[in-house]
Amino acid sequence: MVQKSVGYTVKVPGFEGPLDLLVTLAHQGKVDLATIPLADVTQDFLARARDSLDLNEATEALWMLAALVEMKAKLLLPKAPPAEPLPEIGESDLPEKLEERLAEYRQFRDAAEALRALEDLQQRIFVRPPAGEPADLLLEGVTLDDLFRAFETVLTRARKNRAAEVEDEPVRVADRKAAILEALARAPQGVEFARLFGRRVSAVFIVVTFLALLELIKEHKVRAQQAGPLSPIMLAAVTA
Amino acid sequence: MSARQEGFAPPAPMAEGEEGTLPELAGGVESILLVAGGPVSADKLAEALGADRAAVTQAVRYLQQRTHVTGLLIQAVAGGYQLGTRPEHADAVRQFLQSQHSDALTRGALETLAIIAYRQPATRGDVEQVRGVRSDWHIERLLERQLIREMGRRPTVGRPMLFGTTELFLRYFGLNDLAELPPMGTRGVQTLLDAAR
Repeated sequence: MVQKSVGYTVKVPGFEGPLDLLVTLAHQGKVDLATIPLADVTQDFLARARDSLDLNEATEALWMLAALVEMKAKLLLPKAPPAEPLPEIGESDLPEKLEERLAEYRQFRDAAEALRALEDLQQRIFVRPPAGEPADLLLEGVTLDDLFRAFETVLTRARKNRAAEVEDEPVRVADRKAAILEALARAPQGVEFARLFGRRVSAVFIVVTFLALLELIKEHKVRAQQAGPLSPIMLAAVTA
Repeated sequence: MSARQEGFAPPAPMAEGEEGTLPELAGGVESILLVAGGPVSADKLAEALGADRAAVTQAVRYLQQRTHVTGLLIQAVAGGYQLGTRPEHADAVRQFLQSQHSDALTRGALETLAIIAYRQPATRGDVEQVRGVRSDWHIERLLERQLIREMGRRPTVGRPMLFGTTELFLRYFGLNDLAELPPMGTRGVQTLLDAAR
């Protein structure tokens, strides 16, 4: 069966292979992060994300990149002198222990592969959704790409207005969620996506509002609808 | 309901006595599985059909033989029986439903899930000890997809949260119970896949 997600691969001087392997090896100290140009890895990731975006994989890769940056930062910072030398006991059985742990990991990796095969098969079997429970109408006719494109448009508009004064006011997701719900409650027929953001607002405000919106959709409190490919995305409160 | 059903399409002529009731019972099982969508236990089927459990199991086996000539299949999943489309028609069904999106789990998430499934109840620490990397993100995603659930806390230092698999986990992988997990250390996948077919 075809492996569906291969994950991000890295190709920089000093390392070539899957990103998660790099994280694992760096974690185990088997790869010297100081010699790996993480900026290149990040650039590569960004270039690829621009090309095609699988949100699942991209988020995972982002998380791993962050872990790498954290590890490298720790590595580069000057360390306090070690309080006392590490106990020498048991050093002789270290390779043995490592081998043991690696074998254990391999077992689970194989088990994961077995689960992948089952997943592949089960995803080819469709079960009728129970009556009266529409499959997932929270995003009607709207793809993730559509939402992102709409988001980009709003963000670009904000960048053009950059000259507007910057207010150092904290914007919180919880507040924006409340504000969105309030706006939707006032408009039972729905609110157009772009109208959620107002005219002269900061990029932070837009990003936080967008996050708040995504959370509301995930929590089944807001429904997004789009009549056709280029028509505006309409948002409405879910009335349960 | 049964009167209407009988009047609608009379079943093929059948032999006298006990055997005659099998296709009829099977028809009832199939009807219930169709409207249920998800898995239905043999007990529930028996109750609805006024038959005993053994007869229901027999009827399911009868259906499983016959579904080879239809586009459907009956799987034993999560302690019940479930009617679904046969995998060989997946492309056509996907095309019809316009669902291109595959929600397959990432490799890291699958590894995390495997450790939790085989070791349950397991903590974040158990997972990370095997994988050698932090796995918070995967655990969050798996909780969100309801493939794992919180199962209390381990009574040790820090009282770490324990995780185990859910009923949805069984349905997601087409397993009847946890004993059907592919055996560790060996490649038992093919056996399982054959059994599923």
